[in-house]
Amino acid sequence: MTLAADRWPAYPEPAPGPSGPGGPGGPATRTGPRSGTRTVWRLELAKLRGQGRVRAIAAACLVGPFVIVAGLNVQSATPGDTAFGQWVHTSGFAIPMVILGFGGQWLLPVGTAVVAGDIFSAEDHFGTWKTILTRSRSRRELFAGKFLAALTFATAAMMLLIITDLLAGLLAGTQPVAGLGGQLVPAGHATELVLVSWLSVIPPVLGFTALAIFASVASRNSVIGIGVPVVLTLAFQVATLIALPAWGQQVLLSTPFTAWHGFWEQPAYVGPFLYGLLTSAVWFTLCSAAAWLVFRRRTIGGAS
Amino acid sequence: MTETTGQVVEARGVSKWFGETTALDAVDFTVSPGVVHGLLGPNGAGKTTLLSALFGLVLPDEGTVRLFGRTRAEAGPGWLDGVAGFVETPRFYPYLSGRRNLAVLAGLDGGDAASLIDEALERAGLADARGKRVKGYSLGMRQRLGLAAAMLRRPRLLILDEPTNGIDPAGIRDLRTALRRLARDGVTVILSSHNMTQVEEICDAVTVLHQGKVAFAGRLDAMRADAPDPVWRLRTSDDAAAREQAKRTTGVKAEGRDDGGLVVFAAQDRLDDYVLTLARDGVAVRGLELDVTPLESLFFQLTGEPGDRPAGPPGRERPPVTEEPPVTEEVP
Repeated sequence: MTLAADRWPAYPEPAPGPSGPGGPGGPATRTGPRSGTRTVWRLELAKLRGQGRVRAIAAACLVGPFVIVAGLNVQSATPGDTAFGQWVHTSGFAIPMVILGFGGQWLLPVGTAVVAGDIFSAEDHFGTWKTILTRSRSRRELFAGKFLAALTFATAAMMLLIITDLLAGLLAGTQPVAGLGGQLVPAGHATELVLVSWLSVIPPVLGFTALAIFASVASRNSVIGIGVPVVLTLAFQVATLIALPAWGQQVLLSTPFTAWHGFWEQPAYVGPFLYGLLTSAVWFTLCSAAAWLVFRRRTIGGAS
Repeated sequence: MTETTGQVVEARGVSKWFGETTALDAVDFTVSPGVVHGLLGPNGAGKTTLLSALFGLVLPDEGTVRLFGRTRAEAGPGWLDGVAGFVETPRFYPYLSGRRNLAVLAGLDGGDAASLIDEALERAGLADARGKRVKGYSLGMRQRLGLAAAMLRRPRLLILDEPTNGIDPAGIRDLRTALRRLARDGVTVILSSHNMTQVEEICDAVTVLHQGKVAFAGRLDAMRADAPDPVWRLRTSDDAAAREQAKRTTGVKAEGRDDGGLVVFAAQDRLDDYVLTLARDGVAVRGLELDVTPLESLFFQLTGEPGDRPAGPPGRERPPVTEEPPVTEEVP
């Protein structure tokens, strides 16, 4: 296997584009689309589709709720220490809420961190920053494209999980379910509340996504990128057990995961959801900005 | 409007520090259109840092870098348009095939780059391995894939950092031919290496870096003019007599070797006279081989790299750093 040396003349110049042709000895026309962020975003999604861990998470989102329903059907015990846990055998609507109660504590932050905590540091791990930064894409475009890809994955996984959760619940039964205020919620309204409850946890999931990205960019290490959100999730859990003042609870990124409780009370209230929205936005903004500040001037490679 | 000098690469006063380490110290580096320009230096001389600065991977602490007459700030996102290559070993996504990797990079490049993938793989001799995951590629195959990735960009400036690493001798020969063809077609090539012989065979001009500074910059023929005599290994039937004869021969110096035989410093014509004289004196020449070429000798002098080679005859001074004259003539 040798280089085909006789076939190495320069490629003919492409046809002149709108920005002008590249003359001999001068730079060739930039052939790529100017919307570099969109280009990077699409390529990152394509790369994610090729990763086993992404496929595993997608598969878990797809079949996980049905497996849980099947598991509950073969045992008489109920997860009574979780909201709606005692109703899993009487109403299918309780099942997605039990999954949300547990998932909000662990699965959702970890699930998004597995991808977001790796999407930047994987380039460090493989040494491919030098490969992609020597193409005609700026750091800004690469950062934005990767960031959006991580957000897209998190949102898509959430939407998939919402759909399969609801379907699994409907499969288990459409009887009315008891709300957290003791009221009986009919099937139609329960369906709406399940959807709204799940949608309400997307902002903190995106907050954890930004946190994982920051950890990934700052550390250049996937273990840290994924591990920091996981450790912080644990720390937040511990913090909720101690007597924090109300404002202290509000600033924790884990708190918005329980904001949906207000939707199921009688009468319903949305205050915690709005606070959670603000908390998630602050975490998201700070982590995103910090990640960009670190990334924009970092040295790729080293001295030699 | 920025005044340009017509140089493809023009770096002025580029310095870069990594903590206490000075990687580049006020480096001036210019490359003219259509030449193959060698960037030489021992390990740690600053070659990779300079090439990284050309690609924008490393931001200089001082100085300016212009590609095709434009700084990065002036050119914006299109600064690297028409520029391709790699720094250190080309790296790819190991879980993707060679072809899929090129598709990702072509996607970043946009335009018709995707249509060039199969042609680039064939040129790089990787047609048969296009579907194989890169994690199964050898070092040489990755180098070839790096070349293929560079060619997707229709480069007007090709920057290659030690491109022959891991490539077999036949591949090196083919690469040399390929680069000459590219230069003939107007592509400017920058080739970094620590191997003087390799650079000598392919480059028109050269910049030698030593400890982050430019030790020499200029045309290769100018470098040859400054170079000391080549070094030869000589074995004879009577080394003592051969050394005595060397003392009587102008332009020839011979020293004994620890492992037997002689080290002879002499230009080719002087050596010819010396060998003929030995024969006339009844001293048989049992072996004669070129040990260090003149440019290698100069390189070792410039960089203070003795290696396992003789340092050269005493009395030769290190040539001064020269400004590279613009190379404007056609490359044959």
